[in-house]
Amino acid sequence: MIWFKQLWMRRRIYSDLSEEIRQHLDENIEALLADGMSREEAEQAARRQFGNVTAIEERGREAWIYPFIESLWADLKYAIRQLRKNPGYASTAILILALGIGATAGVFSLVDAVLLRPLPFPEPNRLLWISQQDHSLPGMATESLSYPDYFDWREQNRTFSGLASYVGGGATLQTTGESQRLDSQTVSSNFFTVLGVAPILGRNFEWNGEKPANRAVMLSYSLWQSQFGSARDVVGSSIHIDGHNYTVAGVMPNGFQFPIGNPAPALWKSLADSADGKSPMTEQRGFDALGVIGRLKPGVSEDQARADLSLIARNLARQYPDTNKQYYSALVKPELEHLTGDVRPAMRLLFGAVTLVLLLVCANVAGLLLARGSSRTGEFAVRTAIGAGRSAIIRQVLVESITLFLCGGMAGLALASGLVHATLKLMPVEIPRIQTATLDARAVVFVLIVSSLTGLLFGAFPAWRMSRAALQRSLREGSRSLSGGTGQHRLHSGLVVAQTAIGMVLLIGSGLMMRSFLHILSVDPGFDPKHVLTSRVGVSDSLKHDQHFLFYQQLLTRISALPGVQSASAGWPMPMSDNSAHISFNIAGRPVAKGDEPSASLGLAIPGYFATMRIPLITGRTFGEQDGLKGPPTIIVNQAFAKKYFPRQNPIGQHIQVGLGDDVFDHPVREVVGVIGDIKCKGLAAEAEPQYYLPYAQAVVTNPYLVVRSNVEPVAMQRAISSAIHELDKTVPVYNASPLQQYISDSAAQPRFQAFLLTCFAAIGLVLATACFRTRLYNAPSRLVCGWLSARNDPMFLP
Amino acid sequence: MPMTFSKKAEQRDLFRGALEMMILRSLIRQPMHGYALVQHIKHRSNELLQVEEGSLYPALQRLLEDGLLRAEWEISPSKRRVRTYRITPSGKKHLEREVSSFERMLEGVTRVLSPVEL
Repeated sequence: MIWFKQLWMRRRIYSDLSEEIRQHLDENIEALLADGMSREEAEQAARRQFGNVTAIEERGREAWIYPFIESLWADLKYAIRQLRKNPGYASTAILILALGIGATAGVFSLVDAVLLRPLPFPEPNRLLWISQQDHSLPGMATESLSYPDYFDWREQNRTFSGLASYVGGGATLQTTGESQRLDSQTVSSNFFTVLGVAPILGRNFEWNGEKPANRAVMLSYSLWQSQFGSARDVVGSSIHIDGHNYTVAGVMPNGFQFPIGNPAPALWKSLADSADGKSPMTEQRGFDALGVIGRLKPGVSEDQARADLSLIARNLARQYPDTNKQYYSALVKPELEHLTGDVRPAMRLLFGAVTLVLLLVCANVAGLLLARGSSRTGEFAVRTAIGAGRSAIIRQVLVESITLFLCGGMAGLALASGLVHATLKLMPVEIPRIQTATLDARAVVFVLIVSSLTGLLFGAFPAWRMSRAALQRSLREGSRSLSGGTGQHRLHSGLVVAQTAIGMVLLIGSGLMMRSFLHILSVDPGFDPKHVLTSRVGVSDSLKHDQHFLFYQQLLTRISALPGVQSASAGWPMPMSDNSAHISFNIAGRPVAKGDEPSASLGLAIPGYFATMRIPLITGRTFGEQDGLKGPPTIIVNQAFAKKYFPRQNPIGQHIQVGLGDDVFDHPVREVVGVIGDIKCKGLAAEAEPQYYLPYAQAVVTNPYLVVRSNVEPVAMQRAISSAIHELDKTVPVYNASPLQQYISDSAAQPRFQAFLLTCFAAIGLVLATACFRTRLYNAPSRLVCGWLSARNDPMFLP
Repeated sequence: MPMTFSKKAEQRDLFRGALEMMILRSLIRQPMHGYALVQHIKHRSNELLQVEEGSLYPALQRLLEDGLLRAEWEISPSKRRVRTYRITPSGKKHLEREVSSFERMLEGVTRVLSPVEL
């Protein structure tokens, strides 16, 4: 390793040498001056005596450069010549290495993009994700904050320089003549300050933007480009969103996005809208829906922040037991960890698997190197005989193997780039930040390090063995080339066993993964997703309750009349979509203290929804005309609900009061009229949870999903449905149109992605295992065939 | 060729290795810098040997590279910044070996050159 050190230290050495020579001349000049010469004479004499300074410096330097560069260069040239002379061997090894290193680099790029790269904000490790813990549920589930809780946390904490809130939703942007449904976030005034990113145009939100009537909006760069033609005067102007006027505060820089995930928000609204109305969201302590992100003060630890916020939470739980008694501690974790928490194990699994593949590849190539080495024993023996030291032979073999691994690495890079590209294109998977994966400089550095290290590690043993073998052969058998002795074969067998074992691990792993994936696919979701198109319509929030419902009634009548349509209805939430709401309820005759009410997943349905979705009715009836605006309040529960809350009773005829109120219905007591089958709402692998449905006419709280069952392919219906909607109202935007089947396939995207990649790895393992046996075959005959044959194939190389 | 690792033979005024031997031997007595070495050898050889700086500095670099010497910047008694060389343990061993083989060679040469057969 001395030459490595020299390489780094050489600059120092050279400057020392120059300095030393200068001092030498000075000292000589002084001595001559002391002898009585004039300065000019002394300088000339000293120079003459010393000779050509540059030439002497150069000769001094040669001591350092010459042997190192010369021999390494020679080794490298020789290694390349060796590879070119044996194209079969070289291409096999390089191909195998390219597979292993390419797969590893590809997965590294994915892991790097998702897990390793820091968040794109200044000082990202001071950003914490913040939430509260629900102590009433097993495992202390996390729960979002409500606005009043958030305001209290924001004002009372001492450990954060800022806490910001955000909550997602849709927004209908109305421009002249058309309207468009966009993904939006409603954020606190300090949101952009906490993230540390300023708008490129305009100003930040101001605190009075949290008061009603001060509606302000921040545009994303892409919306500013696409919708406003990058006009700079858009700042300060008024735009129309959801029937209200918003002042454009500014435009965020290109690429800015928070929260990170799909879809990216197109705009950010101030809290003004949420603070408006009779009972505004900003005053409801039970409305737990906010995401909160905080920026730690410098030098404050995560634990200190947690303790600080938990103290506030404990006080609030005491102060507001009705809404907060189960939330008496805070949960904080680094934002990056929160973002990638769910996919961390999967990414680690992939990286582990690909490391196994790399090991397998290395073992395989080490086997090739050994086999190749034993056919070159003669050559090494000659070298030893004419004076090559053992270290020289080791170095040469090492240079050869590193060259080989680096060639493999380069080919692997090309493969990795294809792999990343194909993976992202063919396997759309909802993993945050994965779409940003590219084969960048970090990946190239990674490949260089991996190739050199593995080349060094896996070349070292063959090199050591060859140098030893060369020594022995040169003593005993001269140039006769024979394959190694028992030691070598033990080693070969060891490599074969190791490779088979690694291959088995990969195969079993991918088999298990495949099985669980297939198992997931075979799960009955509880509804029939075939031939159903779903879509949402952005009906304005400013419509009155009955107008809203009337719109859907008219729309469904029109859609049902379209040719090819079997049935059409609407409901919420769409199974496997991210939407869900847990609302507390009381069962008549079972009084509980306020704050202790059970809660379950809320659903909404327009008559015909269960039939269109083919969700089976177990007992009672489904919603009909009688469950309208003026009808008696009713409710339908699913089997899981009935089993949990009415285990030994008939649920039909029971009364439930749901904690969901609006301007029309204020927490009515509802009669259970039916029980429907369970459906999978949170993915095929998840258990069905207790759920209840309210008639949409009696609970207009959001835009439901249209569901249209047809005789033809659902995509073919899309245009007809859109035009039916626009015939009714030109201005409403249609969004989220997709076949129902898509939701199911998306929900299984991650297991499919894992199963696919693991299967690829196992396939590589299989190929290599075969190659491994071939190596053994390649090696075997050389024990039988006479020495002259291999000696002729590999002419001795005399220096 | 990959196996020619030795340095090119240097043109030397003396026989091969003599300058190195003298440097090492001089440094065993006391650490010195380049200029002092030149003076020392000149003085010790009763001005018979004149070490050329053109050979001295490359030789010092080779000895450094081989790990037989080490060098450090110091301030000389005359308040001058000088690079002082010290012999290392492996330098001492190397010198012992070289001196003994030199002596053997000298003995051989002497025997051959002597007019009377001993």
